[in-house]
Amino acid sequence: MKINELMTARVETIAPGATVKDAARTMHDLHIGSLPVVENGQLVGIITDRDICCRVVATGRDAVMTQVKEIMVKDVTTCFDDQDLADAARLMTDHHIRRLAVLKRDNSMAGFLSVEDLARGSHDLASSVLEASTPAH
Amino acid sequence: MKVQEIMTTTVESIAPDKTLRQAARKMSDLGVGSLPVMEDGRLLGIITDRDISCFAVAMGRDPNSTEVRKAMTKEVTTCFADQDISDAAQLMSESHIRRLAVLNHDNRVTGLLSVDDLARVSHDLAGGVLEAATPIH
Repeated sequence: MKINELMTARVETIAPGATVKDAARTMHDLHIGSLPVVENGQLVGIITDRDICCRVVATGRDAVMTQVKEIMVKDVTTCFDDQDLADAARLMTDHHIRRLAVLKRDNSMAGFLSVEDLARGSHDLASSVLEASTPAH
Repeated sequence: MKVQEIMTTTVESIAPDKTLRQAARKMSDLGVGSLPVMEDGRLLGIITDRDISCFAVAMGRDPNSTEVRKAMTKEVTTCFADQDISDAAQLMSESHIRRLAVLNHDNRVTGLLSVDDLARVSHDLAGGVLEAATPIH
């Protein structure tokens, strides 16, 4: 089964110069926990609600004065939408993560594949990903 | 298999009158995404990194003065330590959640059970929980 059959195709993104408060508000309104950071059509990072908690609130930074690019994770693990599910699961397992940014072959953003999406295709692949990742209690 | 055989016996918690910044700092230091909120040995709620991002940062509330009790989730789904793990998995699936607070029969919190803990012993139970959970992308 291919990644594009199970991924969540999403186009909501945020600009690297947006404020952390804007990012938090967007994630709140859209009921999502992360946003791809896109500049000139290219993926330059990911920001999550956990990044906001740990890198802004925990350290006492001002969310209105801090830009997304200051706290985003730049080293994003990606896959292509026409790759096999097993490839995606291996990538997640190797990197101890639970979601991948999915790109089209022209490197534009196609969506996200999470371990929950993976579970709809294979309980075994999804559970292997969980076993490899750090438990987030 | 019983819940107590695979749960994470976490005793880390936070008091309801601590600030969101203190909660964020504790989660960051412990590498966890949620903390039980305890008062006089009783479980009052759960606070997550997402609650902090959504309640304080997105809404422009000051995390240095907002108390945990304002942002926590009060309806916590619980199970007992001596229940079967299939009961726990069913509770998670029905509630569309990925973790449960585990109580002993004095109603004291003795641990947390996450879908990650389930995955270590049953790919099918964990896969079912993931499929039922709302994907957080």
